Amino acid sequence: MANDNSCKGIIKNALLNKNPILVSGMVIAPVVVMANNFWDAVTLIAAFSLITFFTLLISSFVPKNIVYTIRIILYTLIGALVYVPSVIMLKYLMPDEVETLGIFFPLFITSSFIISRSESIFFMETKGKMLLDIIFCIIGYDAAVLLFAAVREILAFGTIGGTIIGMPVQLSAFQNPFGGFILLGLMAALFRSILLFVKRLRQK
Amino acid sequence: MELMGKIMMTAFVAVFVENTIFSRALGTSTLVVIARSRKNLFGFGLSVTYITALISVLTYFVDTLFISSNRYVYMPLVYVTILGFVYIITLLCMWKFTPKLFARIRKYIHISAFNCAVLGSMFLISKYCETLSDYFIHGLGIGLGFVFAVYLTAIVYDKIYSEKAPYAFRGYPLMLIYIGILSMAFWGLSGHTLNY
Repeated sequence: MANDNSCKGIIKNALLNKNPILVSGMVIAPVVVMANNFWDAVTLIAAFSLITFFTLLISSFVPKNIVYTIRIILYTLIGALVYVPSVIMLKYLMPDEVETLGIFFPLFITSSFIISRSESIFFMETKGKMLLDIIFCIIGYDAAVLLFAAVREILAFGTIGGTIIGMPVQLSAFQNPFGGFILLGLMAALFRSILLFVKRLRQK
Repeated sequence: MELMGKIMMTAFVAVFVENTIFSRALGTSTLVVIARSRKNLFGFGLSVTYITALISVLTYFVDTLFISSNRYVYMPLVYVTILGFVYIITLLCMWKFTPKLFARIRKYIHISAFNCAVLGSMFLISKYCETLSDYFIHGLGIGLGFVFAVYLTAIVYDKIYSEKAPYAFRGYPLMLIYIGILSMAFWGLSGHTLNY
């Protein structure tokens, strides 16, 4: 059994046991509203990964002796500063796709993930472990969003990445936010069941 | 009378029809955290509504001052600065004039200021409102709508986390499904119909 603070434990927690979206319930809004299909999800994770990684990386240099009241303002200000080059770069690379993100792109600045993970540096033994935690949390989030968007696209439009796969029924309600909530809830339950099944299998 | 009707209608739309959580999912992660404690619900609700109402007024002035073609790139920085300013001023005033209240809500005041619902409200009102009164009423309505959504979730919290719920669904998954069902009901309220 890997220790929670060992590298293996950090990776396992970030990807599986504390997956930001399927277990911990972080940064749900853009997923529920915007991740309607695979390609929208790709834009979403590009924006999320860029802002989150660089904001957390820079935030890790904020000293602990600054009071939390000020620290939290600094984290969000860093996020807002990181947002500027990120949006310029992504607008250059994928202009139409970034437009579709609307207000959800700048909202990554105050995402629950940044607010909570900015403090993780104080609980990790080394900066290397903190970076490992951030990178794998982002990978865990990205993978879950891609999977969610792919399933949603199949159910709502009968396509995957825009390619028709010939589904007999299209449940178009899944493209709405309420469909996103319900589908994410079902996927979170399924994910928990799989984790439990694997755990029991190992115990046997 | 006409003005009163307009105010009531705008507030109704912001709270029920275009509820931040149920229609745009803004602040869902915060809701998941806050719904755990019904004890702090009133204080939290008051903080969020106060912040959204106050920043809506400041957003109006900022929007009229900063007219740029690159709003999408630079406005988040301006909005976050306003948010930080309101947060600090509020904390200082509370610490000075109402120390007891400050001690009670200091644990979660940061969650009520720095969340997607609050920042999202600034973008939404900036996009859809024109006059100062529009900004204020929408800001107030968004705050109240958010609190209403948190309340609706908090009242079923014990059942969602109950031992009677199947393990796979217990807690977070069930909460998402519950919010989804409420969201579907509010979606219907806004006049959408299904094609048959």
